[in-house]
Amino acid sequence: MVNPTSTLLNWILWMPLLGVLGILFIPKQKEGMIRFWSLINTAITFLLTICLYSQFDPSVSGMQDKFKIFLPWIKDFHIHYFLGVDGISLPMILLTGLLFFLCILSSWTVSKSVKAYFSLLLFLQCNVFGVFLSLDFFLFYVFWEVMLIPMFFLIGVWGGENKEYAAVKFFLYTFFGSVLMLVGMIALYYHSGKGIDSFNIIALSNGRFVNDTLTLFGAQFPFAKLVFLAMFIGFAIKVPVFPFHTWLPHAHVQAPTAVSVILAGVLLKMGTYGFLRIAFPIFPNASVYFSDAIGWLGLVNVIYGALCAMAQTDVKKLIAYSSVSHMGFVMLGLASMTVQGMNGAVLQMFNHGTSTAMMFLLVGVLYERSHHRWIVRPDGSKGFGGLYTQMPLYSIIFIIAMFASMGLPGLSGFISEALIFLGIFDRFTTITVLAVIGLLIGAAYLLWMFKRMFFGEVIEECKSYTDMTPREVLYMIPLCIAVIFFGIWPAPILNIMKASVGHLVGLLGNYH
Amino acid sequence: MYLSSVSFYIPELLASLTMVALLIMEATYNGEGKKTLFNSVSYIGLIGTFFALLCNLNEAPISIFTGSVVIDSFGTFVKILMVLGTIFSIYLSTDSLDIHSEQKSEFSILVIGVLVGGMLLASAHNLLILYIGIETLSILSYALASFRKNDERSSEAGLKYALFGGVVSGIMLFGMGHIFGVLGTIDFLEIGKGIANIKDGYQIALLIPSLLFFMAGIGYKIACVPFHMWAPDVYEGSPLPVTTFFSLIPKIAGITAFLRVTIVFFAKNEGILQHSWIATLAVIAALTMTVGNVSAIGQRSVKRMLAFSSISHAGFMLLGVLVLDKVGAQSILFYASTYVFMTLVVFFITSFVQDKYGNDHFERFSGLIYRYPFMAIFMSVSMFSLAGIPPFAGFVAKFNVLSALISKDFYTLALIAVLNSVVSLFYYMKIIRLMVFGKVESQEKIERLSFRNQVIVGLLSLPILILGIFWSGLIHFSGSTEIFLQ
Repeated sequence: MVNPTSTLLNWILWMPLLGVLGILFIPKQKEGMIRFWSLINTAITFLLTICLYSQFDPSVSGMQDKFKIFLPWIKDFHIHYFLGVDGISLPMILLTGLLFFLCILSSWTVSKSVKAYFSLLLFLQCNVFGVFLSLDFFLFYVFWEVMLIPMFFLIGVWGGENKEYAAVKFFLYTFFGSVLMLVGMIALYYHSGKGIDSFNIIALSNGRFVNDTLTLFGAQFPFAKLVFLAMFIGFAIKVPVFPFHTWLPHAHVQAPTAVSVILAGVLLKMGTYGFLRIAFPIFPNASVYFSDAIGWLGLVNVIYGALCAMAQTDVKKLIAYSSVSHMGFVMLGLASMTVQGMNGAVLQMFNHGTSTAMMFLLVGVLYERSHHRWIVRPDGSKGFGGLYTQMPLYSIIFIIAMFASMGLPGLSGFISEALIFLGIFDRFTTITVLAVIGLLIGAAYLLWMFKRMFFGEVIEECKSYTDMTPREVLYMIPLCIAVIFFGIWPAPILNIMKASVGHLVGLLGNYH
Repeated sequence: MYLSSVSFYIPELLASLTMVALLIMEATYNGEGKKTLFNSVSYIGLIGTFFALLCNLNEAPISIFTGSVVIDSFGTFVKILMVLGTIFSIYLSTDSLDIHSEQKSEFSILVIGVLVGGMLLASAHNLLILYIGIETLSILSYALASFRKNDERSSEAGLKYALFGGVVSGIMLFGMGHIFGVLGTIDFLEIGKGIANIKDGYQIALLIPSLLFFMAGIGYKIACVPFHMWAPDVYEGSPLPVTTFFSLIPKIAGITAFLRVTIVFFAKNEGILQHSWIATLAVIAALTMTVGNVSAIGQRSVKRMLAFSSISHAGFMLLGVLVLDKVGAQSILFYASTYVFMTLVVFFITSFVQDKYGNDHFERFSGLIYRYPFMAIFMSVSMFSLAGIPPFAGFVAKFNVLSALISKDFYTLALIAVLNSVVSLFYYMKIIRLMVFGKVESQEKIERLSFRNQVIVGLLSLPILILGIFWSGLIHFSGSTEIFLQ
């Protein structure tokens, strides 16, 4: 009898693909059935991730043995189908399960090629799980890349007016980053001796490449630093770290609501997850060596993203840039190389996932009524005004989301940002001080946006807007709860990540 | 002695017999059902060749006809791929409107002739046989290129091809002559030994340009830069089935010859000759990939774009040659096997579109997914695969070539190669974009593609999907193939 726990990761990973197969058998015309099927499928997946959470043993620092799945895939290259979960990937898996479920709910009104839309969304979920669960580098890379295909079509077919450009830019940018990672990955394979564990991320994570060198153009280079840089670019494009962020505003603005939510809520985290899972543990010395640069880049992200957000007149673009700014905080936490900072970074990844998902969903709700997103139209007139009196319930939820992403005490964003600042202060005092300015700008652009859209006279156009429907409220509630609950009591998430993060910081600590 | 050699040579003989039979039938028979008869004869002949090759696949490497030809599992596998490519090119020609119906039998005769030349080239083990292989392949190709007799572009293509080809053949012979002059032999193994023992500086100085001339001859056939000028015009001017055929058989045969020559001549002989050969190959491969890809970006005709893309793929396969060991050969085999299927799918669909809408401009692909959803999906799959996106076979092929390169520390080449796949993704995506995001042209009558063709395209796409995930078997097999070295 197979122990159900030992196959749980398989079920989580392949459940969405089962959903896709199911959809393929539903006739195109039965759109309602397709929606329900997807909803049930994602609900089951979400329940499975909750199961995983309940079975998870927070005291173990490494991969949890009872969930591990290890099967040979390509024998000649020692590539394995190797899945596992630890405290760093578990929050991401929970987030993925939750957000995809809510996104299916929020996509109820999509009417163009429903069958293709929901299949692609579920296929995307399968790949995202794949990235967070794989412990074999090759497997990780495959999921990392395959994910681009559904994203490309989701943005390109269901997006806004300039969708093609956005989809192509997104695809090319990410592909560029990942091919560098591919070269780094193969280099790693040969440098570790083509052995049984040469694609095994866990086995590679012991700092064994510290003193290796690499010959390039006839000169000797330190192997770890060079390959770290190749992977850094691959991951940084995904985060996105300045100056690789230019694909993000386009992709976000053009993507349909649900895809924006996934993009900001889950996909950006894959970049920082890559640092935590691959770049840092495999090259601890190079990570410590480059941590100053990562810190400064993170700071640029925070300030630059916030300033760009301030200048936007399109509310979705504003939130897209606020993501750049908030991911900067995650980078700061990573650069700190301390327990608090790293914990803060992982927590910020989770919290930003929930709060920014709320923001994008709310913009989507508004867009379905207004069909535009201008705070100020290009001709200078107001796009929205007095929404507060028109849509009170909407406004309250908006306020919660806004304050959460601003980092107001009592809401989730505060805890993670505070942890990051605690962690980084000793190492980079200047950066900390400057980053606080970013926090201020963050408060400024959010409040200013709120003032312009929600207060003042109700403009003519807004008078026809109705408040949120029960379905819309339904998918906001779990996020509201998450944002408030983890703002007051972050322990459930912090506890599961503590041991794993501590393990990573300990590994890095050897190279300070 | 000769009789036992012949038993290994049955596939080539079968293919030649098929060609001769077709030739005689073409001259004598003109009655009812000529087309069906012709097709069945060529299919039966080629399928027979295919199975004869399968029987040879497990043979230990052996040289036959007093060492002038070698039969080894590497060569046999490559020949299987070439036969598959030929069968499907002939199949494509039967339905294609691009070839006049009276010429279809000629097409079969010519492509089988080129196939025989290619098979000879892939197993040649002395300079003369290699030259005969190249010439058989070339002369029939000139005829194929100018296939549409009344079309100016096609005639121009044929003339251009023949003119350049003649010059390059001369240059190649010149180089071979000098190799013979210096080393006193035309046998590959003897040349390899001669290169190992050569000490005299003057002789080396003479050998280097001779080897380069020799290289030019093979390089011309696989259209690698700087010998590629003829390719786009010829590919565009020729009818589509011919283009399909050109981007498969001569390329695969040429790469095999390159690999054989490189390994037999240089694998064990480190020295200035090896360095200059490998360095030249590296530059050629890098240039071929880059020029092919960059030129493909600006094209308006899908056929021309695919022509440039096939040039760049040849460059990618060349990378496997300069690794100089079995890992390289293994990666080439895998690459070639996936390349055959990807190319066939892409050209099949282009051919259907061209036959339906009269030309192959990009706009014809606009909104294809609404008209022929399956065709659009298969086309997208093949194009993603050609660009090297997992989980499709093309990614695994590129992964293998890259890992072969990196195993020998060719990091710069590996970087050039991966950046090239980013560039290639850009132009492949242009088609995918049009097919999926584009608008359907106004109120067109939607005709169904014949069920048979859809099934064929589906079957051809199957390996692209399967080999992307379950590639353990094929890579293990290609690793176990052997190249004749004794």
